[in-house]
Amino acid sequence: MSAQRFLDDIKAGDELPALIKCASRAQLFLFSAATLNPHRIHYDIDYAREEGHPDLLVHGPLQGAWLHQFVRDWVGPAGRIQELSWQNRSSAFPESDLTFRGRVTEIDGGDVLLEVWEEDEDGNVLMPGRAKVQLPKR
Amino acid sequence: MDSLIPAESMQLVGERLSEPIAATIHTEDAQRFALATDDRNPIYFDEAAARKAGYRTLPVPPTLLAWALAPPRPLDDLRVDGLFHAAGRRIPLNVDRVMAAGEEWEFLAPIYVEDRITAETRLHSLEEKVGRSGPFVVQIAETRFTNQDGELVALQRAGGIAR
Repeated sequence: MSAQRFLDDIKAGDELPALIKCASRAQLFLFSAATLNPHRIHYDIDYAREEGHPDLLVHGPLQGAWLHQFVRDWVGPAGRIQELSWQNRSSAFPESDLTFRGRVTEIDGGDVLLEVWEEDEDGNVLMPGRAKVQLPKR
Repeated sequence: MDSLIPAESMQLVGERLSEPIAATIHTEDAQRFALATDDRNPIYFDEAAARKAGYRTLPVPPTLLAWALAPPRPLDDLRVDGLFHAAGRRIPLNVDRVMAAGEEWEFLAPIYVEDRITAETRLHSLEEKVGRSGPFVVQIAETRFTNQDGELVALQRAGGIAR
């Protein structure tokens, strides 16, 4: 859980502290269950291979939820996320580190724009995204 | 080559894909989702922390909205890939499977546990593209979420890649 971040203390170019996630196969199941999502590519390895995937896939929306968590932690309790978007560009796999990174691109009055992304262990960007957030003033 | 998008499907762009659906988002649902994503932010679990952060009560992790309203479905409705056939209006496409392509969210007001949320989804766009592994369809659905007071709390545009 993060401390409060204030608008007065940030500037364009600032980097967000990275968040590392690594999904177990059981976590994939629990996310499928929590979202009532029966899509077989997330739990049926034989079916996933039939579709041409080398392993089970981490859900796009789970990566989206992690991205939301990453930004939510950065803005702190009194901060708010107004907009968040992401593109699922490449597949993410379980039991492999996924790192969320971001930087402040622009501060427009009270709105703070962020460029955010998720990368794999080799630094490939799997999921680029953007956020618009609001931070309290000191 | 035949189009992956039959002409009648293009007619559906802008149309409502189903009757609005509504459901109450219970505290347990919100917390189960937060924990499944390993998000232990106290605003989702501790009333005092939520109030201190400016919320009326526990907020719901907002991307859960995309899932929390799905009505119960019979097994007969499952496709080969395990997903349910689209509820309501079908968008006929000459494809075998669909994968998530991305999402755009606007969070306009907090969503709280025990809120009754109504979702209305329209087909935003259908576009055929060609990639390295052949032609595919990018399908974007726009969903507007309102709470029990009629307040628009979130707007989502979800993209799917069908091939």
